[in-house]
Amino acid sequence: MTRKAVSLLLILLTLVCLSGCWSRREMSELAIVMGAGVDRTPENRIRLTLQLARPAAFGGGAETGGAGAAERQNITWVVSETGDTIFEAERNLALKISRRIYWAHNIILVFGAEAAKSGVGNYVDFFMRDPMSRENIWVLVTRGEAKELLESHSELEKTSAQSIGFVERNKAGLAVIFKDFAMALASRGSNPALPAVELQKLGEPQGSGMEEEKQHEEVVMTGTGVFKDEYLVGWLDTSETRGLLWLRGEINKGIITVPSPGRPDKLLSINVARARTRVEPEYDGENIGFNITITIDGELLEQQSGEDLTIPEKVEEIEAAAAMDVIRKCTATLEKAQGEYGVDIFNFGEAFHRKYKRDWKELKYQWNDAFAGAQINIYAEAHLRRTGLLTRPATVKK
Amino acid sequence: MRKLIRPVRAKLLAAKKNTGGASEASAEKTKDNTDRDKTSSFLSEDLSSNLARIKEIFQNCSDIIYRQFLFAQREDIRLVLIYADGLADKLQVSEQIMRALSLEVPMAAPEADITKAGAYHLIKERGLCVHQIKETDRLEDVIEAVLSGDTVLLVEGHPFAFINGMRGWEARPVSESENEMVVRGPRESFVETLRTNTALLRRKTRSSDLKLEMMQLGRITKTDVAVVYLKGIANDKLVEEVKSRLQGIELDSVLESGYVEEMIQDNTWSPFPQMNHTEKPDRLAARLLEGRVGIMVDGTPIVLTVPTVFIEFMHSAEDYYERFQIGTVVRIIRFLSMFLSLVMPSFYIAIITFHQEMLPTALLLSLAAQREAVPFPAFVETLLMELTFEILREAGIRLPRQVGQAVSIVGALIVGEAAVRAGLVAPATVIVVAFTGISSFVYFYSASFAIRLLRFPMIVLSATLGLYGLISVLIIIVVHLCALRSFGTPYLSPVAPVSLGDMKDLVVRAPWWAMFTRPRLIGWKNLKRQEPDQKPVPPETRTGEKGGGGDTGKQ
Repeated sequence: MTRKAVSLLLILLTLVCLSGCWSRREMSELAIVMGAGVDRTPENRIRLTLQLARPAAFGGGAETGGAGAAERQNITWVVSETGDTIFEAERNLALKISRRIYWAHNIILVFGAEAAKSGVGNYVDFFMRDPMSRENIWVLVTRGEAKELLESHSELEKTSAQSIGFVERNKAGLAVIFKDFAMALASRGSNPALPAVELQKLGEPQGSGMEEEKQHEEVVMTGTGVFKDEYLVGWLDTSETRGLLWLRGEINKGIITVPSPGRPDKLLSINVARARTRVEPEYDGENIGFNITITIDGELLEQQSGEDLTIPEKVEEIEAAAAMDVIRKCTATLEKAQGEYGVDIFNFGEAFHRKYKRDWKELKYQWNDAFAGAQINIYAEAHLRRTGLLTRPATVKK
Repeated sequence: MRKLIRPVRAKLLAAKKNTGGASEASAEKTKDNTDRDKTSSFLSEDLSSNLARIKEIFQNCSDIIYRQFLFAQREDIRLVLIYADGLADKLQVSEQIMRALSLEVPMAAPEADITKAGAYHLIKERGLCVHQIKETDRLEDVIEAVLSGDTVLLVEGHPFAFINGMRGWEARPVSESENEMVVRGPRESFVETLRTNTALLRRKTRSSDLKLEMMQLGRITKTDVAVVYLKGIANDKLVEEVKSRLQGIELDSVLESGYVEEMIQDNTWSPFPQMNHTEKPDRLAARLLEGRVGIMVDGTPIVLTVPTVFIEFMHSAEDYYERFQIGTVVRIIRFLSMFLSLVMPSFYIAIITFHQEMLPTALLLSLAAQREAVPFPAFVETLLMELTFEILREAGIRLPRQVGQAVSIVGALIVGEAAVRAGLVAPATVIVVAFTGISSFVYFYSASFAIRLLRFPMIVLSATLGLYGLISVLIIIVVHLCALRSFGTPYLSPVAPVSLGDMKDLVVRAPWWAMFTRPRLIGWKNLKRQEPDQKPVPPETRTGEKGGGGDTGKQ
């Protein structure tokens, strides 16, 4: 019995040495990073900007409900420091911050346009290597400076980082987590594309004491930043971003607006309930081709005209128009990617790799060029499954 | 199961009988020596010498009453009544003995019959109006009878004494159980008088198989102890083991069943109780029916039952009386709260001082906001709060009723409100500690004490090693529980060793018609509780089937 107990204790003791991070840290000793931004200074140094949460201002516990929104404290603290590497900048920051920089709850990583143009390869390694930083943070690129973006605040959420995080989580636009971004960087068959964000004046704060406040600038998503390898080469607008999502097969929700059959001046909107994209590469030794098949299941959610859309012919007409709309958007995006930027941001290279393993070995080194010359056919097939709660619109009979 | 007596213990017992018996024998000898001069002798025919000897023994015992009177008004036949004041029923003594013997006998019996020689026979057969009489010729029996509340009658010229069972002392009436509350189910609970308790039990189980074997424990207190079991259901070896362990007890006093428990339990150092106890006759009967053995101790309403398995503490009498779905859900809640009351504070500490990454961001921010003002580390804070809670709980039990309200108000206000307002503790800590405290009341009290105790090492280890420490303590606890035995039954059964058939009464409480076997490791001697296939069937289905098989598959 005693021997058993002793040996058990010994086994447990050896386990103590095996465990990794076992130093305790009190919560009030942490500087919780909500968002991080990377910029390039004119002197060609890295400027790391951190949005730190100020828990004291969060008003948890007893004091909630006391002070209203009128006297709002700064809920975050945004600090920047430069360095030659990310880690150096972080250490420089740590020298000035009273608490330990705590990365585990970081929500977003923003690249400033200048930093992205000079190549993000210099910046990503730290975020993969550091055990505290997570791989599921949202990665973004901004047209301006990441610092400015992080300095903003959100009207609805506690911090602007959380606000962006929630927008990304809705998957309304392109949403890229760090792991996928790093994989796209490492892969020859695809190039990273990051959601582009910028500050926009959005709405006005309401209520007493708010009249004098300036119009508020909120972080919004405005499209996509296109990368070639690690360099930012250009942008896609929101419509082209939709095309990108269609081609990537990442559409989760969204709408397609098409003209009403027989009434081109009236429109109707279809809610996309389910969408699937199939990429079928073709290669005859010389020409690369892709057949993209997009299948869409949708339901009618808005109709401006007064027609009865339960008639099968009309439904077919709507379906064709919706398919055309998707194809149009995709083509526009493709043209830009193939023609203007010459990058494969659609992961087509990966699909090609899966099908033609042997040929990939030769092609992978100049895949972007090969992609630019590829013949891409897009087929779309839309199905209107439901018409919402109405079968006929409530309009005045003439 | 066959080895009911564990080898070590068996060896010890054997050793005690053979070699170590010397000390036992010597102890007995000294006991005998002290008693022999006074009591170990027979009564004499001379009443006054008997009386003198008894009075000598009861020297300075002011509560012993000697009442001399005449049998049938005859000066030559003197009688003496001896009893302890307060223990005997005074009214009955004066009515049924004194009045009957001195006044009524002459009316009933002819004058000629009343002789000195025939007096003894006359008293026994015609005089005493007492429901229970014992005769003895030994002095020590007389002494014992007086001490246990019986009334002793000595007759002039006869070396015999009557022991009249006329016990009647002030006792607490049978009242509602205060510690084992039920909403549905019998309310009555045991009292301090053993005889009342056996009667309560007998009322529940009207079977001649219900055996009550009496013994006396405690060299000075001479406490009556009854080993109760159902013959044919309880394992004979278990009964023997219980009796032999009880006989091994040599205490000078047994004032509560806790004395007995500590003397016969398997593992003294374990914080977990290896004997269950109850104060409700229905629960005792239910356990006896599962093949367990009960130990009733005079002077306490708490009855011990063995063998005990850990899951018993998660069960309540009501589980069996309420509908089985309720019983099952409530048991799940009990298991959950048992686990939470053990783990919750340590988990809280481990998470907020080691594994902040495990929290959702919003929760982390709100916790961080709460902790911002708190000057102590989470460990110190939680430990302080746990201690405070334990103090409050102890105060709640001990304090006089009248000040109860004051303490609870002060406790609730100071701990709950002022401490948070003053920024001494975080609201989350108060919630955790309060929740832990409440959930430890959900299951059986004496098991909750073990959990309460183990919580503290767990807190310390989580504060030093994080979740790793928490898990290590959990592993140690589980290993310990697996090693525990209660009278030969594995403490964790039917979970370890697995007994699939007993899962019907573990977390799930199966309906009564489905529980047709007793717990396998305890009631294996007579496994079958009732006929299977007794599931109630609606009449229309019943007519369609031959013999009402009980399967409602085709409805």
